[in-house]
Amino acid sequence: MNRLFYLVVLSFMFSCHSPAPKDKETPAAANSGDTIRVRTTIRYAHGFTIDYHDGYKIVHILDRNSNKFDTLEYLLVQRGHAVPTGYPKAQVISIPVQSMIAMSSTHVGIADFVGVSDRITGLGSFKYVNSPIVRENIRKGRTVEVGIDENLNNELLISMHPGLLMAMSNPEANGAKYKVLTDAGIPVIVNAEWLENTPLGKAEWVKLMAALTNREALVDKKFDSVVKTYDSLAQLAHQAKTHPHIIIGMPFKGSWFMPAGDSYMAHFINDAGGGYAWANSKGAGSLSLNFESAAPEALKAEYWLNLGYVTSKQDILAKDPRYASFQSFKMGNLYNFDKRTNDLGSNDYWESGVVNPHVVLADMISILHPELLPGHTLVYYRQLK
Amino acid sequence: MVGRWVALCVLLVLIFFLDIAVGPVRIPLKSVLRIILSLPGEDKTWHYIVGQIRIPKACTAVIAGCGLSVSGLQMQTLFRNPLAEPSVLGVTAGASLGVAAIMLSGGGIITLYTIRELGISGSWLITLAGCLGAAVVMLLVIMISRKVRDNMMMLIIGVMVSTATLSIISIWQYFSDAELIKDYLLWTFGSLGGVTGTQLYILGLVTLTGLILSFLSSKTLDALLLGDNYARSMGVTIHRARVIIICSTSLLAGSITAFCGPIGFVGIAVPQMARSLFSTSSHRVLIPACCLIGTGLILFCDLIGQWPGNQTALPINIITALVGAPMVVWIILSKNNLSIYG
Amino acid sequence: MSGLQTLLTTHQLAAGYHVGGRPITIAGPLSVSIKAGQMICLLGPNGAGKSTLMRTLSGLQPRLGGHIDILGDGGASLHDPSRLARKISLVLTDPVRNSSLTAYSLIALGRYPYSSWLGKLNGEDKRIITWAMEVTGIGAYAERKMGTLSDGERQKVMLARALAQDTPLMMLDEPTAHLDLPSRIQIMQLLHRLARTTQKGILLSTHELDLALQVADEVWLLQKAGGGLEKGAPEDLVLNGTFEAVFDKEGIHFDKNTGSFHIHAGSSKKIGLTGEGASIFWTRRALQREGFQVMEEASLSIHADPTGWTLKSISDSQTFTTITALLQALRNQSIYNEDIH
Repeated sequence: MNRLFYLVVLSFMFSCHSPAPKDKETPAAANSGDTIRVRTTIRYAHGFTIDYHDGYKIVHILDRNSNKFDTLEYLLVQRGHAVPTGYPKAQVISIPVQSMIAMSSTHVGIADFVGVSDRITGLGSFKYVNSPIVRENIRKGRTVEVGIDENLNNELLISMHPGLLMAMSNPEANGAKYKVLTDAGIPVIVNAEWLENTPLGKAEWVKLMAALTNREALVDKKFDSVVKTYDSLAQLAHQAKTHPHIIIGMPFKGSWFMPAGDSYMAHFINDAGGGYAWANSKGAGSLSLNFESAAPEALKAEYWLNLGYVTSKQDILAKDPRYASFQSFKMGNLYNFDKRTNDLGSNDYWESGVVNPHVVLADMISILHPELLPGHTLVYYRQLK
Repeated sequence: MVGRWVALCVLLVLIFFLDIAVGPVRIPLKSVLRIILSLPGEDKTWHYIVGQIRIPKACTAVIAGCGLSVSGLQMQTLFRNPLAEPSVLGVTAGASLGVAAIMLSGGGIITLYTIRELGISGSWLITLAGCLGAAVVMLLVIMISRKVRDNMMMLIIGVMVSTATLSIISIWQYFSDAELIKDYLLWTFGSLGGVTGTQLYILGLVTLTGLILSFLSSKTLDALLLGDNYARSMGVTIHRARVIIICSTSLLAGSITAFCGPIGFVGIAVPQMARSLFSTSSHRVLIPACCLIGTGLILFCDLIGQWPGNQTALPINIITALVGAPMVVWIILSKNNLSIYG
Repeated sequence: MSGLQTLLTTHQLAAGYHVGGRPITIAGPLSVSIKAGQMICLLGPNGAGKSTLMRTLSGLQPRLGGHIDILGDGGASLHDPSRLARKISLVLTDPVRNSSLTAYSLIALGRYPYSSWLGKLNGEDKRIITWAMEVTGIGAYAERKMGTLSDGERQKVMLARALAQDTPLMMLDEPTAHLDLPSRIQIMQLLHRLARTTQKGILLSTHELDLALQVADEVWLLQKAGGGLEKGAPEDLVLNGTFEAVFDKEGIHFDKNTGSFHIHAGSSKKIGLTGEGASIFWTRRALQREGFQVMEEASLSIHADPTGWTLKSISDSQTFTTITALLQALRNQSIYNEDIH
């Protein structure tokens, strides 16, 4: 048990607090320009594929909603190699990417994991950053704010000549939104990690960043360790004798959006050894329930997680005094994942949490089954008092 | 006439009870009755559902039904236009702007803290913002209406004011946090289920004030049916009458919109039903009639939304629109009604 | 009539409106009075300020200068609608087509100044409403909705409402506009009778000159562009040439002999007319309409008698059985004449 806990802490430290300029330490092979030498394989994510060829890689970003497998195609061409012919629809990206624009905090988390957050030269918004490296670069003026959605500063972006813009839009809707940039020769890749419905599937998008920066060797190693820790934690949780029931989210004006049975959150709950009343519901999104249908479960569930914009029990009662009757409320089992929220109001759960699913899982197991991980200090989660 | 009142009241009590008895969670009728009568021995969950969810929701429905119908009636008289109602002439949009100002303002942090510091009075703040927003738009529309005589033109102007007001909210959304916008968008779906405890008391109190103001001016409203000039010649101080009507309409539409979201069509459909059912124009009769019919209509819409087995939260304003929109078309098609107020 | 009570007097009254903060006087200064039992018709061309004057006298818009005294109040009640409502009742041109309002409930609104805060009617209120409906003869459609009434019926309902308001003064702005002839005559006769029987002072503006001349006790003739106001018994105004002078400016000829208008245009063609009875009266109207100047003798002449019309020229003579045929022949002739010239 102690060994496992140690592993969790170690791997967390490794991924979260590792200093950024890793380039010098990485094996020469991964950075030598021989792109074929280390090939990664995708095991958990369903949203993208990587194919390796001589001097280039082909990445497909899939739109799982429409089951079209040719939605977006990218040619990742090694610098100095000729662009292969026969891919008229593909966007060409020169690798390794030396500078990039990140539109969401998750992209920052991914870049941190891969060790390339120093290459982020532009951010959609400064509001959502935790990474010390990126914040330092912001302070020094090396990273600029480029705006989000309609406020995207196209002129600034084009003048920056970034090697890549990582967008977070739906693969399907992508085309028109960034047309100005792609026309100007700036490759725009869609990072649709948020469409994945398993924690490991989400985290595996680090491999896309790895392919873009030729860091497959390093990332494979780190990701395998994440998977290993995650799996052993999940196994541990499955041995738990009880499966306390959990409710998720905050009802608003009579409706309650509860994660559906095949969603990211439902998988987390299952792997953490929790009971979930809607585990068998269909869909990977969320269920729009009316308050009354959720009430019988809410009244007896022992744990209430991810409550949204509240920081105390008093806050919850101010929203609606009826919540005082919930078993979870009476027991004080109220947990929000906002512990690592910085002074700007940016929550690291959305940044490093995405690439450290094992840490999030450890938090959840520790909440539901404190006896299984004695001594564990919550990293992302915080109890509301 | 007495028969109609009695029938309406009986129907109302029936539908009110039905709204409490029926819901997504099946509870035997006997148990519901026992819970209402506070008899012991019933399941705790059922107790919670009936006492904490269904009864507050039904009470909110009653308040919203009265308030929205009467504010619609007053606006129809004031603008002499059978299609006038809070959502048509932009008053609801104004209230939404007030609410958005509170929910979205300043990137959220400052306001959120303010509301948190104020504690319960946050509900008062939202109410005040809703009513003020409603009153501002109402004043604007009245100023424009003095230049415009044509009914249809007035409605188009109402739509314009509405659109402009909603655009301001859209602009506001650009500068707001995603989380706050999500809350705001959920609010725009309209719901009766989110009003409990103190909020319910506040909403009830404000609505009651609006209704009393309205009933006190029922004689004035009658005179206004003939237009400002005739009304003045019969002794109405137009300026004062307008202020009172604006106040009571803003209190009614503003507070209900603030708590339940924008709910349309009730304000058009119900006064029309009241007029034909009691075949009168006297506000002394129409105001209580609107309260009864409006309550019944909203309870009915709520009943549709929470039919047994339906787990999904169906926004109340979608249902009122489904019921109310055909009503509006009917009013437009029957020429007799349209030329009503000249 | 000199002993009758004076209900309303004005002294140097200026009526008009403000444009961009500057007062524009439309009518005045006027010094007039209305006495009990008097029916006064306010006449004048469009734009002379009839409506503005009515609105000013009834307190619907502020006066620009001078004084108005209503029943000895020094003009105070003009600023207090609830006091004024017991002194002056109005029939306006504002459209009232509220279809859900029944005739009865509209008339009952006339009791507004007297009824309780909720508008409940007591026995006295109901008695006056019944009387107002009897006088105007609308009992038959008391329960009909306003939307289903004809223009004439609707106007009578508005009149009944003003009567129910039970005020010493009544002011009516063009009460006969848009009505058919029988309704116009009915309304005018009714008002005339009411003034006599109830001793109300009635002021009404109208374009119906011939009707006004028959029923008005006094005529106020308002002229355009601040031209002042002529007043007096209608017959006096006809005989002293006031009407002729006023309407001449408008290019309209007022015929003192018949009390009606005709148009100057095209009166160069002369025609003689002789004959008798109603026949000669209507033939003259037809000829005037055709643009002839009708006189006793001319080179072209017509003799009208009950059997028909004879058209005589120097060379020719034709007879006709209808005015239509006569006019047709005259038209053909004039075309022929023009061809020659």
